[in-house]
Amino acid sequence: MFTRLPAKQMRPTRLKNARSAGVLLCFIVSILLSGCASRPTLLESTYQTLPSHVELNDVPFHPQVEYQCGPAALAMVLNHQEVDTKVEDLIPQVFIPERSGSVQPEMLATARRYERIAFPIRGTLDSLLTHLANGTPVVVMQNLSLPAWPMWHYAVAIGYDLPKETLILRSGEIERHTLSFRRFDATWARTERWGFVIASPGEVPVGIAPEQAVNAISAYEALHGSDAALPSWKALVQRQPDNAMGFFALSNAYYEQNQTDNAQEALIQATHIDPELGVAWLNLGLLYLAQGQTAKAQQALNKAAQLPGPWQDRAVLALKTL
Amino acid sequence: MATLRRYISVLLIALLALGSFPVAAAQTTGLVSTQAALEADNASEERERIHDILARADVQEQLLAQGVSPDEVKARVAALSDSEAKQMAEQLEAMPAGAGVIGALFAVFVILLVTDILGLTDVYPFTR
Repeated sequence: MFTRLPAKQMRPTRLKNARSAGVLLCFIVSILLSGCASRPTLLESTYQTLPSHVELNDVPFHPQVEYQCGPAALAMVLNHQEVDTKVEDLIPQVFIPERSGSVQPEMLATARRYERIAFPIRGTLDSLLTHLANGTPVVVMQNLSLPAWPMWHYAVAIGYDLPKETLILRSGEIERHTLSFRRFDATWARTERWGFVIASPGEVPVGIAPEQAVNAISAYEALHGSDAALPSWKALVQRQPDNAMGFFALSNAYYEQNQTDNAQEALIQATHIDPELGVAWLNLGLLYLAQGQTAKAQQALNKAAQLPGPWQDRAVLALKTL
Repeated sequence: MATLRRYISVLLIALLALGSFPVAAAQTTGLVSTQAALEADNASEERERIHDILARADVQEQLLAQGVSPDEVKARVAALSDSEAKQMAEQLEAMPAGAGVIGALFAVFVILLVTDILGLTDVYPFTR
């Protein structure tokens, strides 16, 4: 692969060996010193609440061809969600030929094209196991190799065995790849423990971080419109009743569907949950203003104008027009 | 020359995209949209739109240059959210691309064999 420079060829072999031995030594020492090999510890609650064995046998297996673990992993979780698609269809949609691989944003975006919402999960082993226990397979990204020579890889986690501390993956060409929590976590930690689950519109999985949930549904809304996203916003605020941004987004979807009263109600909820959410006060004020309720509009806009942040100026401007 | 051509094509794509925008996109009440609130940017929404279009045009160029078929590239870029498009425009080169196990140099092979046995990596499942 590499053409060697003539100067290097002339170097005495002894020196060359010494150098590579040194590199190897440094390398092994650095591994032993770094704590990345330690056994991942699970929360006590994980042991108490989750079943000790889970295996989602109904997740189909598509072996990866060449470098196409991305399309294969997506096909498995999409098929599991009853989406009719094949690895061959997904390759032109998510694979980047010159990179011989698939990148994370496009993995999420491709699920969106099949009218499914991809939610990045919280990056902990506890959270991964919880999704599996809830019956949801998880696409995980690993670096199978070391940071210096990365081998990025997508696999689908389908089960675990708590007493044995093993995880079960559909990975590459292996239909049932079992590996220890320790080895898996070492490879997963190198992608900052990145993974995602997919859900139909109107479903929000348990345990997704509030911000990630809002981002995921908002991205879906941008592609498919507010009428397609509305069921998911409703499900989100039901699942996460203290998610102020969720109520804010719900109000925008209602508004676009000409359900102004519901939009207003959702904004009031948002400001109740988070009285510091300036953008919700601003929109509430603007809604009142459009309805000619000047006193209420002024009240809400005053709140927005007092809160420092990117929406303060807009609120001050709106107050001047009153 | 190649860079100049690239800039011009990005600009042209952006202009075309801008031209195709529906005129009636603006809401009469001027409510802040969810995407705008999530970006939490002080910039005016028009300026934000233009940034967004440029980012998408840039991603489209990069994907085409990396061998993605011209028939597919538009739909792929359209499926990205604003923040994903920006992220890809800025750092596609540096982004990890999941590919699976690929051939390694011999020295690396030996090291990985050792780390596999130590349980640090998962390159050669036959080590177990």
